[in-house]
Amino acid sequence: MADRPPTKPPTPGTPAAPPADPDRREGDRRTDLPAAEGRKTASVRQAIRSELEGDEPPTTPGDAPRTRGPDAPPVVQMEDVSLAFENPILEHITLAANEGETVVLVGESGTGKSTALKLILRLLVPDAGKVLIDGDDITNLSFEEALKVRQKMGMVFQGAALFDSMSVFENIAYPLREHTQMSEDEIAGRVREKLQFVDLEPDRVMDQMPAELSGGMRKRVGIARGMANNPQIMLYDEPTSGLDPLTTGTITRLIMKLQRELGVTSVVVSHDIRSAFRMASKVALLHERRISFFGTPEEMTASEDKYIQDFLGGL
Amino acid sequence: MAVSGTGFAPYGLDRSFPAPDRTRLPAFFTRLNDAAKSKVLTLQEYFVLAGKSLRFIFARPFYAQDVIQQMDEIGVKSLGIVLLTGLFTGMVLALQSSVQLKTFGATMYIGNLVSASMIRELGPVLAGLMVAGRVGSGIAAQLGSMRVTEQIDALNTLGTDPIKKLVTPRVLAALIMLPVLTIINDFVGIIGGNIIASLVVGLPASQYWRTVWDQIANDGFVFRYVPNDFIQGITKPFVFGGLISITACYFGLGTTGGTEGVGQATTKTVVTSSILILVIDYFITQLLLSVLSYG
Repeated sequence: MADRPPTKPPTPGTPAAPPADPDRREGDRRTDLPAAEGRKTASVRQAIRSELEGDEPPTTPGDAPRTRGPDAPPVVQMEDVSLAFENPILEHITLAANEGETVVLVGESGTGKSTALKLILRLLVPDAGKVLIDGDDITNLSFEEALKVRQKMGMVFQGAALFDSMSVFENIAYPLREHTQMSEDEIAGRVREKLQFVDLEPDRVMDQMPAELSGGMRKRVGIARGMANNPQIMLYDEPTSGLDPLTTGTITRLIMKLQRELGVTSVVVSHDIRSAFRMASKVALLHERRISFFGTPEEMTASEDKYIQDFLGGL
Repeated sequence: MAVSGTGFAPYGLDRSFPAPDRTRLPAFFTRLNDAAKSKVLTLQEYFVLAGKSLRFIFARPFYAQDVIQQMDEIGVKSLGIVLLTGLFTGMVLALQSSVQLKTFGATMYIGNLVSASMIRELGPVLAGLMVAGRVGSGIAAQLGSMRVTEQIDALNTLGTDPIKKLVTPRVLAALIMLPVLTIINDFVGIIGGNIIASLVVGLPASQYWRTVWDQIANDGFVFRYVPNDFIQGITKPFVFGGLISITACYFGLGTTGGTEGVGQATTKTVVTSSILILVIDYFITQLLLSVLSYG
């Protein structure tokens, strides 16, 4: 299982017809699946459908804003990446996220999912292989150059990682004050806009300190801070962990909304396979330090592989 | 192979070196080799952090507001303990020396003794130890908490160098505020000596303060007007300020292991900086005594 070559990532194509479900986006290929696979997929989808009822349909289905040509390299790409500390952590990881796609990294605890995110952020440097952002190799950048590349990315941490000495407003305004020449009025406008995007009332929460917020609110403020600078790439580390099912649904919908409306490329690390399937254009399954599957959720549920079937058992 | 440990790699410090060839060395020497490398690496990290934090004082962006906030935190909020420490140290110094000096009928020299001790040694060292306890532990706990709650990683991902944003303002504030605290400590200590000299020994205040000045003047001057004692008294806290803040930031940023790690970082900061203050005080004294011409 561990040595199984990764499934070739399907090229995100233009949808032949508008998706039947409002919760799915372009790139869905389920209508092409064989009947048996389709049945499995349908049962999986049925299991999550109840949670999806509250999802808003895309405002412009399959038409998220795009800024790059069709031949552009993937926005995020890992090529044969390996990393070891005292023991090997990741081996020969290859994956790619094209513009507007959401790639979800799933796998058991301790398989190196969060480490993969740190490699994309260049908080860690791989021992072998390359990490490319927008086609540019970031592996050999200096620390200062890496700081600049990170400005293209927004990161939402597992515990939100809000600066607890700053108010909600100051947290979201931080990247704007740090890296833009925006006036204070413009910053205030942007902060309000982002808070509204994550369904928080600006007047109610702006002056609150992170310690006064609930877990779900902290996550939402974390997302607002991550997207404050309108980054091209959003990275999420366990965005739904430790949240109740309702809040999990809210956060999942938010991530989908971000992808749908702003065309942001996302890489999500998640334990929550149900949420993962809702938001994923592609799923990467990490098992024994390698990617044992990389493909669409439909291809994953259709897989006969025993480990994948066991992994999806809880669905 | 990347070496894990303090987790400093993300902060611009490279902990990578080739994997050792373990086949040739017996287990004991391998362990010794690893331990030695780890210590050298720690030292290297400490000095790289110190170098970067000092270099960033002169590099944009300047976090002036953070510096002022830290000056308040390190300086103004430490005033209470420094005043108390200085006052009682001066008082006990005068009291103890009065007993000895009385034997020789030399109680009029209490001022000389208190001023020399406070300005040259006790003022800087006690202010340093107090600040190491109060501020060093606070910095280590704050940065350690930020580290374990991923706030340091968040700074990195938001394109900010944590050393520039967190370490440099603290180091700069400590470099400025510790000498200020020491001057206050010295002054309050000498006033404490005055209280005891007047109340217990019966020495008039005018005579006490004249002997204080005599001591300072007799120890010589640099550039004709700057007393040698003042040079000693200001150089030491300046060095201690850098020492405490960099040590606290080093252990704080390197925190691992959750809240327990934060506790350990705090303890290590107070112990290490206290010891370093006492050890480095000796060497600075030795150096300054040989450089400055006394008497």
